[in-house]
Amino acid sequence: MSLKPKSNWELIKNGMFGENTIFRMAISLCPSIAVTNGMKNGVALGISVVFVQTMVNMTVSLMRKFIHPKIRIPIFMLVIAGYVTIIDLLMATYARPIYKEIGLYIQIIVAFASIFARAEVYASKNKVFSSMCDGLGMGIGFLLAMVVISFFRELLGKGTLFGYPIVSGSPLLIMILPAGGFLAVGLLMGFFNWIDMRFFGGKGASGV
Amino acid sequence: MATEAKAHELIVSVSPHVRGQETVARIMWTVNLSLLPAFIMSVYYFGPLAAFVTGLCILSAVLSEHIYQTSLKKKSTIGDGSAFLTGLLLGLNLPPSVPFYIPIVGSVIAIVITKLLFGGLGYNVFNPALIGRAFLLISFPKLMTIWSEPTAQFVAMDAKTTATPLGVLKEEGLAKLIEIFGDKTDLYMSLLMGSRAGSLGETSAIALLIGAALLLYRGYITWHIPFSFIATVGVMAWAFGGQAGLFTGDPLIHILSGGLILGAFFMATDYVTCPSIRKGQIIFGIGCGAITMMIRLKGGFPEGVMFAILLMNCFAPLIDRGVKSKKFGAVKEQKEQKK
Amino acid sequence: MSKTATFERGIHPKYRKELAAGKSITQANLPQRIVVPVSQHIGAPAKPEVNIGDEVKRGQVIGSTTGFVSSPVHSSISGKVTAIADFPTSVGKMVQSIVIESDGKDEAISFKEHPDYMNLSADEIKTIIKDAGIVGMGGAAFPTNVKLSPPKEKTIDTVIINGAECEPYLTADHRLMVEHPREVVEGLKIIMKSLGVKEGHIGIEENKPDAIKAMESAISGEANIKVWPLEIKYPQGAEKMLIKAVKGREVPSKGLPMDVGVVVQNVGTALAVYEAVRFGKPLLERVVTVTGNGIREPKNMMVRIGTLMSDVIEQCGGLVDGAVKVISGGPMMGFAQWTLDVPVVKGTSGILVLAEDEYVSSDQYSACIRCGSCIDVCPMGLNPSILSIYSEKGFYEDAKANNLFDCFECGSCAYVCPAKRPMVQFIRLAKSQVKP
Repeated sequence: MSLKPKSNWELIKNGMFGENTIFRMAISLCPSIAVTNGMKNGVALGISVVFVQTMVNMTVSLMRKFIHPKIRIPIFMLVIAGYVTIIDLLMATYARPIYKEIGLYIQIIVAFASIFARAEVYASKNKVFSSMCDGLGMGIGFLLAMVVISFFRELLGKGTLFGYPIVSGSPLLIMILPAGGFLAVGLLMGFFNWIDMRFFGGKGASGV
Repeated sequence: MATEAKAHELIVSVSPHVRGQETVARIMWTVNLSLLPAFIMSVYYFGPLAAFVTGLCILSAVLSEHIYQTSLKKKSTIGDGSAFLTGLLLGLNLPPSVPFYIPIVGSVIAIVITKLLFGGLGYNVFNPALIGRAFLLISFPKLMTIWSEPTAQFVAMDAKTTATPLGVLKEEGLAKLIEIFGDKTDLYMSLLMGSRAGSLGETSAIALLIGAALLLYRGYITWHIPFSFIATVGVMAWAFGGQAGLFTGDPLIHILSGGLILGAFFMATDYVTCPSIRKGQIIFGIGCGAITMMIRLKGGFPEGVMFAILLMNCFAPLIDRGVKSKKFGAVKEQKEQKK
Repeated sequence: MSKTATFERGIHPKYRKELAAGKSITQANLPQRIVVPVSQHIGAPAKPEVNIGDEVKRGQVIGSTTGFVSSPVHSSISGKVTAIADFPTSVGKMVQSIVIESDGKDEAISFKEHPDYMNLSADEIKTIIKDAGIVGMGGAAFPTNVKLSPPKEKTIDTVIINGAECEPYLTADHRLMVEHPREVVEGLKIIMKSLGVKEGHIGIEENKPDAIKAMESAISGEANIKVWPLEIKYPQGAEKMLIKAVKGREVPSKGLPMDVGVVVQNVGTALAVYEAVRFGKPLLERVVTVTGNGIREPKNMMVRIGTLMSDVIEQCGGLVDGAVKVISGGPMMGFAQWTLDVPVVKGTSGILVLAEDEYVSSDQYSACIRCGSCIDVCPMGLNPSILSIYSEKGFYEDAKANNLFDCFECGSCAYVCPAKRPMVQFIRLAKSQVKP
């Protein structure tokens, strides 16, 4: 990581913008295309990720001194799976309609590269509170990305937001289909790269 | 000695010092010209609205290319005719009666998303006009499948809506299709001349063939893709297209209807998105034909030319990589290696 | 005439041979000063054998060979050596050159004649050819005696004289065949004898009917020599293409003509061989076509080796006002010159001056549109478009994997390219960046 330790606020900001999971790191793209055809789904998944990411980072950081490096990966897996199960069961009980639509993707959070990566590169090496801040930042970054993508997709594809009609006329049906997801993510990523290059002197996404 | 006064400023450049006459612009504008007969037939059959739709496509394609390039401080390449061609092809691929925003949306998608974001002419993976049309078809499935009946009067009329021959064939069978047009000869003649429902430019096979003949004569396209494409469609239609079992289908109906002629001669042959080695082009054409017939016979859409070409566009680089042109002196080398 | 022989693919550029085809070969004026580069050939440069201030005569050796693949240079005038220093040459390099100021007398050393030249042994012929400094005069300038001394394991059964002259504009070989057909045939016979070969061919493009006629009458009575009219197509005169057209054999990739038992010699070389063996004359002069719309009087001239191009151009009336480009050699593979003060060397087949109307700029080029035109014309069956793209993007190893080194830079791809891409430049760049 960087040479100078970052303040907690910087950590959150970094997760939200500088190393935004989807637009900057280009990881966890699968859910960003699959569930962003409506804002409701996108926000629900985003919030779940915020919760799981923060809690995983906290737990991993707490346990970091006791985990043998050779078995760290299964341990992280177990921790993530534990929190995902909590969310899964909670949603299945209290948010039945949404769960029916995105339940699969809630379970797939276990395999999210972004959560796993933060546990590996940050939480397993840093103190509890800064790890939580990092996780929170990353989670919020993901949530923001989901909100932005699903905002455009639902608005253009259905003419609604959270299911409420906003514009009339014939919508661009393609935007709520998978192809539209790729279009939206690609164009937004390009847009944020442009902002970064134009206003912050960046060099664009690393493009890995 | 080298510092002696020179009477002339000499240009130094790498050989060869003479070049052929062909330019990208010349090729593109010739292709545009070759689509003129089809455009005229579209206006003849579907009235001034056809000219409006096609014109709007061309205008918005050229404008969006110009605006994109000038706003990014790049050299505007609208003069090379490729944006014009994309607009024209998109226009000829649209149904006659579409709302005004459909050509605009389609052209912007075709030019900006499909071509310019990938780096401009030469770098696009897919045929821009077809992506534009695919985007529209998926986004506006209803509007994009309202087919008006040809009036053949050069005037705007409240044309009745009807189904395309392929639509009828798919939903109601061959007998019904023949019944609509009178008898079989009438059907063939209507398909050949273009007096049938369909996209603006695809209906008149004869007009398209005139344009294709120009391109073939100038050597801008070769027979490989159109022939293998159409032949595959014909063979598959004959083999699998009949109701009475294998080898009872009517290949001519499948060849003359839909967008096959337009697609095979003008869009599958798009230089950038087709393989550049002739042997590979035959594979490409066969692939296009096979996918077209699979969609027409078994798929959800009545017409499959567009998706067939787009799918095969994905394979073009792979085909080019796998197929090698016959290399001079290579035969002998291989024999020696075997020893 | 029967069906014309040719190779696959190739292009049909505008030939513009009519500018100089009808002009008989004229003797150029005795130059005031000559500049003789010690390296006019492929191989080791010659070593200067004279010092500044020495008096030399015509035909005297002024640079001697330094290796097997090397060739001596001779003075083509009589006079005094005034400088030995680096001077620009027509290929753009600075090369050590010997400058001789003429004394106007044009005295020659005595040449050893062989009236019974057909009785010489193969080795004697090769030695004479080597000492005469004869190199391939079609442009590549490979020492001829080396070509005539193939390794023992290669059996040579055919000699082909290259009279295709497929480069547009050039007519030097054409005029030679029309004016000296007998000498060319004798040269061919000497070459055949030196190789112990029974079969001789002369390949001539069909756009030179008078040359074909002259050669056909010159070979009457020679049972084992045949004249082949070739289809008018560029690059018909490339060695490998010529062998394919005449013998139907394909020189393998990375191979040489001798791998398929063939030696190819240029018309000019055959003539030089004859003159060297019969009259003992070293290679002192050659036919140069001075042509193009940029020159006032297109001519075919017998020019002494070392004469400056500016001298030659002056004798052809000088450049017209719109002249933009001076090329040593033909328009397809020749070298553009930045100065006219470069000498005519053994491999200079022409001086071509292009006027504005003939010149097509390739400064502005666009992305490859993958039209495949270059693939259709590449005589070697390569994929020039992908080679140029690899080179443009710096993937030189990938270019190599696509048979980069089979390319002999004929320029057909660049000629047909609608995007006006400098294909040959890209390919040369890639070639310079990777090892063969």
